[in-house]
Amino acid sequence: MRQLPAISRRVAAAAVSVVLLGGAAACGPEKSGGDAKGGGADGAAQKGGTLTVLNRQPQKQFDPARLYTSGGGNVPSLVYRTLTTRNRESGAEGTKVVPDLATDIGRASDDAKTWTYTLKDGLKYEDGSPITAADIKYGIERSFAAELSGGAPYLRDWLVGGDTYQGPYKEKKGLDSIETPDDKTLVFHLRKSEGDFPYLATSTQFAPVPKAKDTGAKYAEHPVSSGPYKVVKNENDGEQMVLERNENWSEATDKERHAYPDRIEVKSGLSSAVINQRLSAGQGADAAAVTTDTNLGPAELAQVTGDKKLASRVGTGHFGYTNYLAFNPKAKPFDDPKVRQAISYAVNRTSVVNAAGGSSLAEPATTFLPNQKSFGFTPYDHFAAGATGDAAKAKELLKQAGQENLEITLTHSTAQDFETSPDIATAVQAALKEAGIKVKLAGLESNDYDEKVHSLDKQPDLFLAHWGADWPSGGPFLAPIFDGRQIVKEGAGNFNTARLDDSKINDEIDEINKITDHDAAAKRWGALDRKIGEQALTVPLFHPVYKRLYGKDVKNVVISDWTGVLDISQVAVK
Amino acid sequence: MTDLLSTPEPAAGLAPASGARQVWRRLRARKSALAAAAVLGLLVLLALAAPLLAALEGQDPNTYHDALVDSARGGVPLGDFGGISAEHWLGVEPGTGRDMFVRLLYGARVSLLVALGATVVQVLIGLAVGLGAALGNRFADSALTHLTDVMVSMPLLVFAIAMVAVVPADFPRPLLLVFAIGLLAWGSTARLVRGQTLSLKKLDYVSAARLTGGSSWRVARRELLPGLAAPVITYAAILVPSNIVIESTMSFLGVGVKPPTPSWGQMLSTANTWFRADPAYVLLPASMLFVTTLAFTVLADGVRVALDPREASRLRVGRGGRESRKSRPGGTA
Repeated sequence: MRQLPAISRRVAAAAVSVVLLGGAAACGPEKSGGDAKGGGADGAAQKGGTLTVLNRQPQKQFDPARLYTSGGGNVPSLVYRTLTTRNRESGAEGTKVVPDLATDIGRASDDAKTWTYTLKDGLKYEDGSPITAADIKYGIERSFAAELSGGAPYLRDWLVGGDTYQGPYKEKKGLDSIETPDDKTLVFHLRKSEGDFPYLATSTQFAPVPKAKDTGAKYAEHPVSSGPYKVVKNENDGEQMVLERNENWSEATDKERHAYPDRIEVKSGLSSAVINQRLSAGQGADAAAVTTDTNLGPAELAQVTGDKKLASRVGTGHFGYTNYLAFNPKAKPFDDPKVRQAISYAVNRTSVVNAAGGSSLAEPATTFLPNQKSFGFTPYDHFAAGATGDAAKAKELLKQAGQENLEITLTHSTAQDFETSPDIATAVQAALKEAGIKVKLAGLESNDYDEKVHSLDKQPDLFLAHWGADWPSGGPFLAPIFDGRQIVKEGAGNFNTARLDDSKINDEIDEINKITDHDAAAKRWGALDRKIGEQALTVPLFHPVYKRLYGKDVKNVVISDWTGVLDISQVAVK
Repeated sequence: MTDLLSTPEPAAGLAPASGARQVWRRLRARKSALAAAAVLGLLVLLALAAPLLAALEGQDPNTYHDALVDSARGGVPLGDFGGISAEHWLGVEPGTGRDMFVRLLYGARVSLLVALGATVVQVLIGLAVGLGAALGNRFADSALTHLTDVMVSMPLLVFAIAMVAVVPADFPRPLLLVFAIGLLAWGSTARLVRGQTLSLKKLDYVSAARLTGGSSWRVARRELLPGLAAPVITYAAILVPSNIVIESTMSFLGVGVKPPTPSWGQMLSTANTWFRADPAYVLLPASMLFVTTLAFTVLADGVRVALDPREASRLRVGRGGRESRKSRPGGTA
């Protein structure tokens, strides 16, 4: 577990990176329920046309070794095919892993410590040359090179010998734990059981890189495409990108991507107000535009919903994510479970949800796991606060605890992100006041906040926290927060902020990781969440909902619950 | 009026009493300045009476009204013009349903206090440094001018954030803001004072005063300050609204007043995305800020004209002769 500082730190960014690198947004009216084909403009989807992507963040570090994505990202997934990928369907169906370059999602043996993949026939790069198992192995090895850092830390932690391997430039011999007995077979040897390995195999590190074409740090400018589009222009580190059809990509080998538009132009560096304004006006090329990183804020949503035409162009997505209050149960007065329970009872989720943008942008949460089946969502409400908080019950508990004049400090960040922002903190403050708890607010600048809440020695005793997983599964959602072995004592990489170290919970996490049947594992994760919830180590507040505009010519809008955002590979503009 | 004038008018007080009376008389002649002063007086009065007015309306600034906003539409207030009703005279805040009328009044307290306080600090430091540079020897001038350059080019917000970080969390925020803005943003005032002083120094009457053996201090006090009063007061009146804006930026970055304390700046910074969906939310703090800024500017212009000796003589000439020095009881500024 020595990789953990890095892991945890990265995972925090992961939810963000999904949005930045991957996501796009938009879908037909309230289409996120779970049916397969999405909304958008009328008429059958046809090939042709140019799709414009209007974004705030550039597609930085477009090298498959350096991208930190969930499920392979959105724009990156147009260029890089991976061993497995996410199912490109709306709603819960979209949280499944499906084969991409491989014939299946992986065959496990030895308690899910060994994973074997076979490649499909007829796979080609943009230049027509064949994709081999050795290229995928080489792509993974590249991600270990110091000059190509940035990817998720799991490979380093999971692969045998991954903790010391320094990448193919320094160690030509390669990584022994990835075997390629022939051109079509890959065998991965892990140092522990990981039933979720197929989910990791969706990340861009699992994309093939031909060794002969590897230009090291410059590879991002002209990566060799295995997907339906190739990069013809990449300026200012992903700020302006042009993708054109890759003629050597064959739809016969790729059931997931559609590649309707002939050309995709990515324009970044815009402000969110500009993006939403351009999408709603839909002038010229903007009529066939989407965004992969910009949500509608509360004010913009209020305006858009007032206009029927615009409202029909808003896509709704659910990304597995939870915003919550985190306690340090080792510090006074939160060492008393009654105090933590009292706060759980006192919270007014209606005003908290309103502060987060209202019921269309946030759903009240009483569980730590997101409210999606793939994570193992098991409903519970151990400290039923109702819609607006139970001040009487809270007062009673405080009386029992001898804390009738409780004064506490709530730490939040000053970022206007509707997550850990002052608005949410004030809503909590107002609700606790009803229960006689005096709350002082301590706002920290967002970098300072990130550092403090993840450093064991500087961590505030009560703060607004948020969490998203790298893939839709209970493991990456619960383990970093509640696995006692993941407590990081030094540096700013601790996510187990409750300092929970319970051997029973740790053992259960190990046991579930051996399960390769996702549904079976999900049930166990749900039960574990419910059990941990009894300790009131956190107060779940809300799960965010994504609302995004798309242009009026955009067709075939698919929004999965994996990313919560519109999938560009499905979009048609003709 | 007295309250407000005392802020931008440190120099006028230093002029001889008869001069002050003259200034007051000239000021009174300008209706626009009087109107501006009245508006400012009213604002101060409203700010002071905030708890009373809140009790009259039956609301307080921090109570949430979840039922008054449309949660499904981003939390936009239900009803017209931001949810104006008999209970909420100016409507409610989007997302929270907090009462706008009371928040505006309480916001006025913080914003006016911070802006006026910071302006006093800025003017005092600016005067001291500017005069010191203009009247001191070459070494002092170069040192102080460089210091001023550094202050002007310094990124105010970065230092303000640093300052807030080192000051204990319990230190009252409005006071901290007064010092943060005042101590960091006096550079332009100092430059103005130095430049004005240098040009005044060359004038005959100042030279005469120096030749007659007046000390630097005496020359500065008797001959220079009255001449500086007009530009400095005018500039101070521009600083007040700009300080309100700085306060709002700092609120935006989380180093302004702490929530849930309202200030105009804090309201504007959260309101800026709402200008289409809930115009009232933006218009209320914005128009308060606009009225305050306009009033200060008009008043400053009036005071400048009243203080300007050339303007005064032109007025006298224009009226066809010397005006008598009627003194009015209680007519001092």
